Amino acid sequence: MKHRLFVAAMLTLPATAFAQNCEMKLGAMGPMSGGAAQWGLAMNSAAELAAAEVNQEGGVKIGGKTCKVVVVPYDSKYTADGAAAGSNALAAQDIHLIIGPVGSPEATGIKPVAARNEQISWNASYAKNALEPKFPLMFHIAPGPSGWADAVIKRAMKEFPMKSVALIAPNDQGGTDIASVDAEAYKANGVTTTEEYYQRGTTNFAPIVTRILAAKPDVVDTASSPPGDAGVIIKQLRLAGFTGAIGRLGGPGTDEIVRVSGGLDVLKNFYWFETVPTGDPKVRAIDDEYKKLLGKDPIGGTAVWADLPAARMTLKAVSIAGTDDAKAVAAALRKMPVDDPNIGKGYWAGKKQFGIAQELQFPFGVGIIKDGKNLGVERQEVKPE
Amino acid sequence: MDQFIQAAIIGVSLGAQYALLALGFTLIFGILGVVNFSHGGFYMLGGYVAYSCVAFLGLPYPLAVLVAVVATGALGWVFELFLLERLVDDHLATLMLTLGLYLVVSTGLLTVFGPLSMEFAFPVTGALHMGPIYVPRENLIVLVVCLAAIAALWLVLFRTDLGRGLRALADDRAVAMAQGLRPKLLFPLAFAIATGLAGLTGALVTPILSLSPNVGDPVLATSFLTVILGGLGSLEGAALAAFVVGIVEAFSSVYFGGSIGALVLFVLVLLLLVFRPTGLMGRPVRGA
Repeated sequence: MKHRLFVAAMLTLPATAFAQNCEMKLGAMGPMSGGAAQWGLAMNSAAELAAAEVNQEGGVKIGGKTCKVVVVPYDSKYTADGAAAGSNALAAQDIHLIIGPVGSPEATGIKPVAARNEQISWNASYAKNALEPKFPLMFHIAPGPSGWADAVIKRAMKEFPMKSVALIAPNDQGGTDIASVDAEAYKANGVTTTEEYYQRGTTNFAPIVTRILAAKPDVVDTASSPPGDAGVIIKQLRLAGFTGAIGRLGGPGTDEIVRVSGGLDVLKNFYWFETVPTGDPKVRAIDDEYKKLLGKDPIGGTAVWADLPAARMTLKAVSIAGTDDAKAVAAALRKMPVDDPNIGKGYWAGKKQFGIAQELQFPFGVGIIKDGKNLGVERQEVKPE
Repeated sequence: MDQFIQAAIIGVSLGAQYALLALGFTLIFGILGVVNFSHGGFYMLGGYVAYSCVAFLGLPYPLAVLVAVVATGALGWVFELFLLERLVDDHLATLMLTLGLYLVVSTGLLTVFGPLSMEFAFPVTGALHMGPIYVPRENLIVLVVCLAAIAALWLVLFRTDLGRGLRALADDRAVAMAQGLRPKLLFPLAFAIATGLAGLTGALVTPILSLSPNVGDPVLATSFLTVILGGLGSLEGAALAAFVVGIVEAFSSVYFGGSIGALVLFVLVLLLLVFRPTGLMGRPVRGA
């Protein structure tokens, strides 16, 4: 009898002591197919890692229970309607917290729908209206070019003196909102600018390259062109005989650009913005942790590192609030200090540009490739607003 | 003037690539009466097969291109024989089947190869520079291969019994069958030729541009636009329209920019459809 009781106790022990007694779903949204897939898949990888970290500790605390976090991805296809549909699809699964979306059209599409569905949404877009006071559940993963373009240009000008630059970007909000702000930053540094826009979906840029080169710019900046497009543009610029430096004051994706363009020798002279200081070993250690916890490599390149703090802070805020109700989690988030174990100390920003301080501002990076040699990514510190 | 010559060179180069795609697309419509929504999928598949042959099997690039043509042609043949053939006269069903095949191909490639672009470079690089004018060597090679393929297709269609049979089926299937022609033998063959052409274009063009699981999307749009401009089902019209599209795209983008350039092309097609609904060549090849 005593033996039976012991066996019964052992069998029930795991269920009572270790098992999570509820589940919380976390949305991950962004383009997961198409030319900008890398950025959406990075959102998903970041959400997966944050969830795995929390689950390793048992889960998030909701109403006295410990809940396992399950990530639900949604491919919003870099479109406004895709993101709006995604908000509804996730709401139908009782999901109140979304890491994503990525692009400006997606941010525009999700704002009113997520507000109606009472969902927190962390967009990573560089739209001029990425945040608005009338949408208090909207958060921003990192500043747009107005927060870093000036510093990147100043650093680039030390390596690549320039008097004129041609900016090229898609002709939708995802392109124009970034390229126009980049252009202002170049002008403020005494550089004359021309802006060229193309239809998203263009595959052969040879005619546009011919047009750009007619203006004889010192530098061509691919701004927020998807990494795959930027790689083709650079390849065709070099084929056409352009020898100047190439800049990228837009979203991350340097690995993809190097691969598509044909390598460092083709890029030759290149400078770019990184959302986080990717040369820092503590930042790079995120990939090792992902592999340790999830048994595979993350997808999405350096964008995973940039998206991770938002996912980590959201799950921490759930435990502080004791609920996954969006309004309560948002209130907890606003009181939290911005400090990530891998990225370092940051600040809440956005009041100046958007009228609402719900934007994460962390140290960022400026990468330089000179004469075909990668000089690495330099850390740029930030100050509070 | 330099810009004008450069735009013309780019336009002809684009036109040859579009012609290969459009000929395959219009061949299937002309002979089978099927609008092939999976055309972009075969283009992508051609690129990925060539890439796999080079990267994983170490085959030389020309052989990899040949393998890509055979593989995409074989898949087209199997697809037509076992799936499309059963519903070939049901326009809605064939539309759904070909669209379904495109989704299967693109999702399959995404699953196997991932979402990022492959490192797939054309073996010949550099450009011939004549002052400010330049011609990429790789584009020259692609142009020659495209023109050779178009000539070979013309010879097959207009100088062989197989071609005469295919054209007879396109003109009037009932009469052709009464003469002893067998659609069950010739339809899969026509589909295989068309998908092989798409695969050839993919294997040639993706190393010059980029190779990822979404490069087939614009291919369908371009092919559709070209064959509508040329006249659905007309081979000569498709070839002519392909060069018109390439040259208009090049000149409008060079002189008006990427946004207005795209608009000019669509306005041109719109005007043509208003004033000449049957397209440039002006006669439907396929009988009622």
